[in-house]
Amino acid sequence: MQIRTKRWSSPTLLLTTLPLAALLITFFIVPLAMTGVLSFQGTEYYRLVWTWDLEVWREVFSQFSYWSTMLRTLTMALIAVFLCVVISIPVAYALVHRLAAVQNHVKILIVFAFLTDAVLKSFGWVLFLDRSGVFNGMFALIGFGPVTTDILFEPAATMIGMVYNHLPYTIFTIYLSMSRIDRDLMQAAYDAGASKIRTFFEVTLPLSLPGILAGGVLVFVLSLGVFLEPKVLGGGKAPMAAELIRQTFETRVNWPLGAALTLVLIVIGALTVIAASALLLRLLPKTGEH
Amino acid sequence: MASQRFVYRFFHEISVRGRLLLSQQDAIIEVDNVSKRYGTHPALNGISLEVGSGELIALVGPSGCGKTSLLKILAGFEEPTTGSLRIAGRDMSAIPPALRPTRMVFQKLALFPHKTVAENIGFPLKMAATERSEIASRVAEMMEMMSLRPEYRDRYPAQLSGGEQQRVALARAMISKPEVLLLDEPLSALDAKLKKAMQSEIKHLHRNVGTSFVHVTHDLEEAMMLADRIAVMQSGNILQIGSPAEIYYQPANSFVAGFIGETNFLPVRIERDGERISFSGEVLECTSSDVPATQAAPGLDTGEAMVMVRPEVVRLDTEGDQPGCRVTGTVDELFMKGASIQYQVRIEGLERKFVIETPGTSRPPAGPGDRVTAVFDPNDIWLLPA
Repeated sequence: MQIRTKRWSSPTLLLTTLPLAALLITFFIVPLAMTGVLSFQGTEYYRLVWTWDLEVWREVFSQFSYWSTMLRTLTMALIAVFLCVVISIPVAYALVHRLAAVQNHVKILIVFAFLTDAVLKSFGWVLFLDRSGVFNGMFALIGFGPVTTDILFEPAATMIGMVYNHLPYTIFTIYLSMSRIDRDLMQAAYDAGASKIRTFFEVTLPLSLPGILAGGVLVFVLSLGVFLEPKVLGGGKAPMAAELIRQTFETRVNWPLGAALTLVLIVIGALTVIAASALLLRLLPKTGEH
Repeated sequence: MASQRFVYRFFHEISVRGRLLLSQQDAIIEVDNVSKRYGTHPALNGISLEVGSGELIALVGPSGCGKTSLLKILAGFEEPTTGSLRIAGRDMSAIPPALRPTRMVFQKLALFPHKTVAENIGFPLKMAATERSEIASRVAEMMEMMSLRPEYRDRYPAQLSGGEQQRVALARAMISKPEVLLLDEPLSALDAKLKKAMQSEIKHLHRNVGTSFVHVTHDLEEAMMLADRIAVMQSGNILQIGSPAEIYYQPANSFVAGFIGETNFLPVRIERDGERISFSGEVLECTSSDVPATQAAPGLDTGEAMVMVRPEVVRLDTEGDQPGCRVTGTVDELFMKGASIQYQVRIEGLERKFVIETPGTSRPPAGPGDRVTAVFDPNDIWLLPA
């Protein structure tokens, strides 16, 4: 594909990009700048005072508990990305190559699950994972004692909820890039003496990397902001960044601190995405096309 | 993976030894009564075909005639519904493409877009767990043979021209020295000039390597240029197998005859008398209308038939005194083609225009609207079932 280069000052270019630019500035740049400004203020008796100092930032960098929450959030998000990708690759492969006949039905089912409200789905998992829930009941039936696992309100349950709720993103992005791979390429690999597994690693996986990267970024960004799953499935015992920020704003009514924590989360997320992209761009299939 | 390599080596060993044994034996591919159905749709109806060792055979026919199905069965991407297939003396049922002594050049080439030219060409060797240094030297050898410049090694297929991509695809298919190379219309996407160049390159390659080629194409002219033998197919059947000259001058029926170039058909009644056949028709008059039975499609007997005469064996009779068969009509159109002049002549009682191809002259011997007499030697005709 050829991308035509135009001068920044070209009037048609400015005019045609105006709506998008306006949208981005109003709903992204301005709020972000306001958050930045807010983080340099202070509070007195639950009221915002315009102090213009670094008091809030001093607190952020001196409180270990904030950073442990951030680190936990980052770790959980990365694990969720890994699990989503690892689960989605075989699902997408099966959708493209094995379930061609029922492909559309399966896709509709996934969309249904995707469109169901996350609160409902999370409470569904509560019922499933509860001590007296379906999961333990099943194992009890086949003779594993009354309580086999007790993971509800543990980080593991939070992870199950996060992966479950974000899975459609990776399934669909990976499915899309896999279905665009020419079937002849796989036949050519078989013809050249490659086994199915070899063909998957030599042809299918490298050519699916764009979808894997896109899905991974989506899940990562969404996972950084989860507050429902830690609350409902994690029992609020190990709050993640979003919950911390919510509490800072609502319960502690400390807007400057909340703004500062928000910025910290955004920076951590952005840095991780940039680092991961740089790493993955090297892995991405080069085709010599510009 | 190790066990798989072992299996591959094992079969490779067998195929190498088999090749030694088979060197006296002729047929490398034996297709015996193969049928293929997709659901209820029959794609192949009991095809039998033998391909000799080192032969270049072309499968020709219009789209949907089953030529690609047959090629896929040879490659192992599809199993025949009934019938058997032997390649290099081995029965091929349930043997996957990877373990067959065949390599395929795909219609859209199917070069791996994320691999460099060298990685693409060396891919079959990598799959066969060949030493890296050997892969490198054989890739270099192959690139030289296909006249690909050494600096292309590290380029990606998208950075090459259509003809170069074609050569990379051929090199990838040939590098593991297969017994049979299957070509699935790889030239169909090229422009006319490049196509001609690639055709001569394929012919050249075939002469050099001694591998059997099975070339699928819908272009009978291409098949005639390349092939030792041509199999003309139509709706799942092989209509005729023969040398290019046989297909061109002695077609089994009017479909084969009409599939390449321009042809004239004249309705006649024939009388078979042992080894001689005499014919008579309303539109043609002949000084002698008696030809040997070898000038008729096999099995043709007394009754309605057709005379086939190629445009290039017909001459314009300006003096009106040449012996042979003659037809008379009015010139409808003429085309100066340079080396030749083509006349389309309207003949009363004939629906299709009679086509004459005469050697080019600076002044055409007749113009539109002129009454002309066309004459041809009865030895140049071929009798076909009506």
